[in-house]
Amino acid sequence: MIDSMAQSDACKMERTKEAKLPRRDFILLPVIGLLTICLIAVFFESIAWLLFPSSRTLGEDCMMFNDSSTGTGPRGIPNAVCWEKIPEGERTRYRFNSSGYRSEVEFRPKSAGTYRIVLVGSSFPFGMRVPAEKTFAMLLPAELSQRTGRNVELYNEAMAGFGGYPNIVERRFKDVLAANPDLILWVLTPWDLQKAATNWPFHEEPANRAVKESWVVKSIRKRSGGVLDLTIFRLDRIRVVLMFEHYLYGSRSQFVKSSLAQGDDDAGFLKAEPSAEWKKRLLQFDSNDAEIEGRVKAAGVPLVVVLVPNRPQAAMISMGEWPAGYDPYKLDDELRSIVTSHGGTYIDILPEYRNMPNPEQHYFPVEGHLDADGHGIVSEILARELTSGAIPALKVAAQPQVAQEQGR
Amino acid sequence: MDSASFQFVLFGLAAALLSNISRSRVWRSVVLMAASLVFLWLLANNPIVFLPLIGFLLLGYAGLFLIERGLAKSWVWSLLAVILVYIWLKKYTFLPEGIFLHSPYFTLGLSYILFRVLHLIIEAGDAGEKRHIGLGAYLLYTLNFATLVSGPIQRYDEFARDQFADEPIVLGIRTAGLQLERIVRGFFKVNVLAMMLHAVQEDALAQMSQPLPLPQKLFSAFRLAVVYPFFLYANFSGYIDIVIALARLMRVRLPENFDRPFSASSFLDFWNRWHITLSTWLKTYVYNPLLMALMRRISSVSLEPLLGVFCFFVTFFLVGVWHGRTSEFVVFGILQGGGISINKLWQLGLARGLGRKSYKALAKNAIYIAFGRGLTFSWFAFSTFWFWANWKQIDKVFTAIGIAQWLGVWLAIWLCATVVLAIWEALRAALLSIRTSEGPVLTSRYARVVYASALGLAAFVMTFLLNQPAPDIVYKAF
Repeated sequence: MIDSMAQSDACKMERTKEAKLPRRDFILLPVIGLLTICLIAVFFESIAWLLFPSSRTLGEDCMMFNDSSTGTGPRGIPNAVCWEKIPEGERTRYRFNSSGYRSEVEFRPKSAGTYRIVLVGSSFPFGMRVPAEKTFAMLLPAELSQRTGRNVELYNEAMAGFGGYPNIVERRFKDVLAANPDLILWVLTPWDLQKAATNWPFHEEPANRAVKESWVVKSIRKRSGGVLDLTIFRLDRIRVVLMFEHYLYGSRSQFVKSSLAQGDDDAGFLKAEPSAEWKKRLLQFDSNDAEIEGRVKAAGVPLVVVLVPNRPQAAMISMGEWPAGYDPYKLDDELRSIVTSHGGTYIDILPEYRNMPNPEQHYFPVEGHLDADGHGIVSEILARELTSGAIPALKVAAQPQVAQEQGR
Repeated sequence: MDSASFQFVLFGLAAALLSNISRSRVWRSVVLMAASLVFLWLLANNPIVFLPLIGFLLLGYAGLFLIERGLAKSWVWSLLAVILVYIWLKKYTFLPEGIFLHSPYFTLGLSYILFRVLHLIIEAGDAGEKRHIGLGAYLLYTLNFATLVSGPIQRYDEFARDQFADEPIVLGIRTAGLQLERIVRGFFKVNVLAMMLHAVQEDALAQMSQPLPLPQKLFSAFRLAVVYPFFLYANFSGYIDIVIALARLMRVRLPENFDRPFSASSFLDFWNRWHITLSTWLKTYVYNPLLMALMRRISSVSLEPLLGVFCFFVTFFLVGVWHGRTSEFVVFGILQGGGISINKLWQLGLARGLGRKSYKALAKNAIYIAFGRGLTFSWFAFSTFWFWANWKQIDKVFTAIGIAQWLGVWLAIWLCATVVLAIWEALRAALLSIRTSEGPVLTSRYARVVYASALGLAAFVMTFLLNQPAPDIVYKAF
């Protein structure tokens, strides 16, 4: 409607001398413009806060990231309970047992006939942003018990933030082995590898934010040279940006495009040929894994390593096609090669995502972690893989028919 | 810079600002030439890649030169030479690979330059037209940065009337305000609307090859078919809005290229509203002369309407084929030409069957118009599969569900388009009927400022805060 009226108005004006604008319009029009912008901004920010409320407290409030007293890296505050509500998630409780791990029960000596799995890793196996009962750490032992007919219990010694860094995992292996596990399950994510070369303790405490610092905020901060990062104008407090991102990243194609535009640090592992930095990270992982494998062999405990894809990786695998120069399976191939070269067991779950419709919908679009559905999916996949022969002690005689064809 | 980016808008505004320093036509022409050359340089800063384009332009000018020297017959040969060189430079796939140039060269905007050059040669060859076009004017007209990438296709006389006028056309604050609003609107269409629609289309396409339940697959097919025409409209018309506004700020009036195409009640009417300058050009230089030539040769009165149908088919087949070098665009052309021809035959048949008076009454019936509008949209949506997809994708999409299911989807599209577009037309008419003495309230300058501010904020959030690059301008590729 504006299009055709614009043409009509324009034609009339061009043939005759243009009518003058009333003087009041020189003030009124800019004021109307500014008022419109302010009203829209306030309106959408209000809507964003209504739709995506968050708590002031976070699960991280119950964690110590730089406490070097134990020498085993980041840990939870023993016997602490914290609550959080992130914008995209549900209200979540974090309870830490006396050992400082996220568990509703205390760690105790293993009873006879029990098959004990100790889970290590970072925020994905920790179950960040998801109620404990919905995490795969809680679902997996129940699933395995049902499939195998054995009493399977799982100690979740994963730690959010940096607990999955290979050098941190290596540090805490004494604790891991002290639990007398029958199996150690190391769940990795690309983020753990991204930080493989990071040394702990860190120089500064990582900032806790109810809203994860999104690529938007990082990008603006970088482009503005920090000018826009003022206390009174914290971009991470503008909820409307998160709201737009949440809905925009609901589009898988848009999300993958945005992810691949993030630069080598975040998206380099998706390339068919890893960059020098990612090769360095893989070398670091190789070194840490060799150490870890040596220890578990000496202890006689099997170690299973598995890579859970992050959101862009899951989306690309499910789409089945990606831009030239990229390969979402590459990191998986490299890790498998490293782990098996040290005699470890590697479970490859990425092919499961190929025939899964829209697996990226089971992650928080902006925050990035698995949501409750995503944890359920991972639990199911792990249960199937662990009982299909990868671990002889958990093998079941007959497997349920797999309806979908697996493979790349 | 070759799309509707912030940099392009800033560049255009800077050129407009410079151009308005003086009202002198020499100054304005110098600024336009400089801006056009800088624009070309920014797109490809190796001068070697421009050699084929320079050659093409010189060939066109040589043709004009010969015609001006009185070699009237040379206009046909000039036309043929220009067309053949164009086909060669664009590397049409029906030509053998071996004859093409293998080093990279600049072809952006060549299709639009072709139309301008052909237009000049044809008009020069017309016995009634005697004018001299200097090399400077020729280059200004063919390389105008505002129309280089994706048109609109402007006639030379209209360009010259404004560009070389002793007294430039009026540009007051109201007009400037309208153009700025148009730039914001165009920017929003390309960088927000088109981006979102493109994402919907890509997601729907990916879902067609996923193991989804049938209802979801059908919905994906529906979305895939429906979204692309809107994406193309937002993408192309948004860019056109920006260039028309920038040109107007430089005191040159470009022709409109869109006039609410989805309001068209027939496919014939659609092509009077979609890419108007292209269809007008081809109607002027293909349809009219072809029809006149055929009518001179075939004197049967009863066959006259069918000659018109045939000429429509040829014209709109060329409209389709112009868009691309590959066989998909041949089918696209057949669908455009076929759609127009069938529409015309329908009109002729109905008029003959019902009688002229009854047919005219039917053509004014709101329900008939609504169904016609829906069918026009559905046909265009169907034909655009051959516009954006290659044969592999077309096969993947059309075998993802069965034929009966596809027929159901198209029927649903027709019905939904009928209803939705009818509601939109009624709503638009109702809103525009709210008037004051100055005109409709919703098109008053106060409403426009609200509208432009909202769109500008949305575009700012999307492009700056979210740093989401918009899809490229589709028509730049032609």
